[in-house]
Amino acid sequence: MTALLLSGGSAFSADRVYQKPSEFIQQSLGKIPATQAIALSSAQKKAVRAIIGKSYKTSSIRYWSAGSKTAFILEEIGKVEYITTGFVVSGGKISSVKVLVYRETHGWEVGRPAFTKQLVGAKLTAGNQLNRQVRNIAGATLSVRALTKLGRLALYLESIKK
Amino acid sequence: MSEPAPRRRRHNTRKWHRWLGLIAALPLLWLSLSGILLNHAEFFGLNDRQVSAGWVLKRYHQLPEGEPRGITIGDRKVAFWDGLTFLDKEFLEIPGQLVGAVALKNQLIIATDERIAILDGTGEMVLDLDELSLPPLPIETVTVDKERLFVFSGKSFWRFSEDFLRFEETSTHKVFKSLPLLDDADRESLSNAIMTRRAMPLSRVILDAHSGKLFGWPGWLLTDLAAASVIVLTILGLGLFKKRQA
Repeated sequence: MTALLLSGGSAFSADRVYQKPSEFIQQSLGKIPATQAIALSSAQKKAVRAIIGKSYKTSSIRYWSAGSKTAFILEEIGKVEYITTGFVVSGGKISSVKVLVYRETHGWEVGRPAFTKQLVGAKLTAGNQLNRQVRNIAGATLSVRALTKLGRLALYLESIKK
Repeated sequence: MSEPAPRRRRHNTRKWHRWLGLIAALPLLWLSLSGILLNHAEFFGLNDRQVSAGWVLKRYHQLPEGEPRGITIGDRKVAFWDGLTFLDKEFLEIPGQLVGAVALKNQLIIATDERIAILDGTGEMVLDLDELSLPPLPIETVTVDKERLFVFSGKSFWRFSEDFLRFEETSTHKVFKSLPLLDDADRESLSNAIMTRRAMPLSRVILDAHSGKLFGWPGWLLTDLAAASVIVLTILGLGLFKKRQA
């Protein structure tokens, strides 16, 4: 019986790629501007840690600017894998959000516009919190938290970029 | 003299109920126990425990395949095996297949065919460059000359700026190193690192074993049969519950 059970198929699942980062930037900003980066200072790293609960994966974070819009491609772990998300921030508000690559096995529902539209228009309050509540999705709690943190991070980064 | 029909039917029903119950007992016991565990996964800490047993990882196609390759840069070793890149056996979140690694000033530059990661002397990742900040992909390899990073991709050589955010095409021809295979000792320790990295949450393994999915079609079949046996046992049991006729 064991041999029979071990001879069956597998339970593996693959990444979901919704859009390439370059396509997101092109679509959001109308072109792909030159890459710029924010080299986080010690105080800024501390603020980032307070927002996402740990250090960001890189100490310099890239961004692309066109007019008043600034786009970020940010990554945060949902449960065990990174979720790559594109944000466009303008005038201290999130104007566009899109999950670009979802690698977790559960919780892909955060990639749906019905969820991400909650973040559009969100601003940061004094404590680097969002000025609105983001509804949870049952079974995708960690992914919801990750996207909410990234939304806060995008707004914070826009506020410190030169 | 033969038994009366109702009595014989009752006798047969009891026999079927007994034997089917015996056969289905073990799968049903497993389904019940695993169901209780899953319902209280947080209480039992099943989400925090990881399973890295070889046979379980094999079921999820998580065992490393192919040949591990690596490169030594000073006292640091960058290795790649089955889609994962490691620096001194620590997993690095850099997607793609490792194509090269070079030292530049006090930084370590690790290139895959789709990303370039810049790490400082402490191992902290300073920049993670993707298709948005790189020449045409795939990157074929990297090298350093006169304190500048050079990349070969799209049949051209590209010279990066000091901050790595800009690059320009150059006609300069550079010599690039290929990645050698790792020796057995490095292979063994990398295999252990990969298995630890790819360990599955115990709750996921129990869930997939509960549904039978972990074992492929035989598991699904067994789970279906166990569920069907509950239906048949219920029907047979209800039949036996009826009062005997005088």
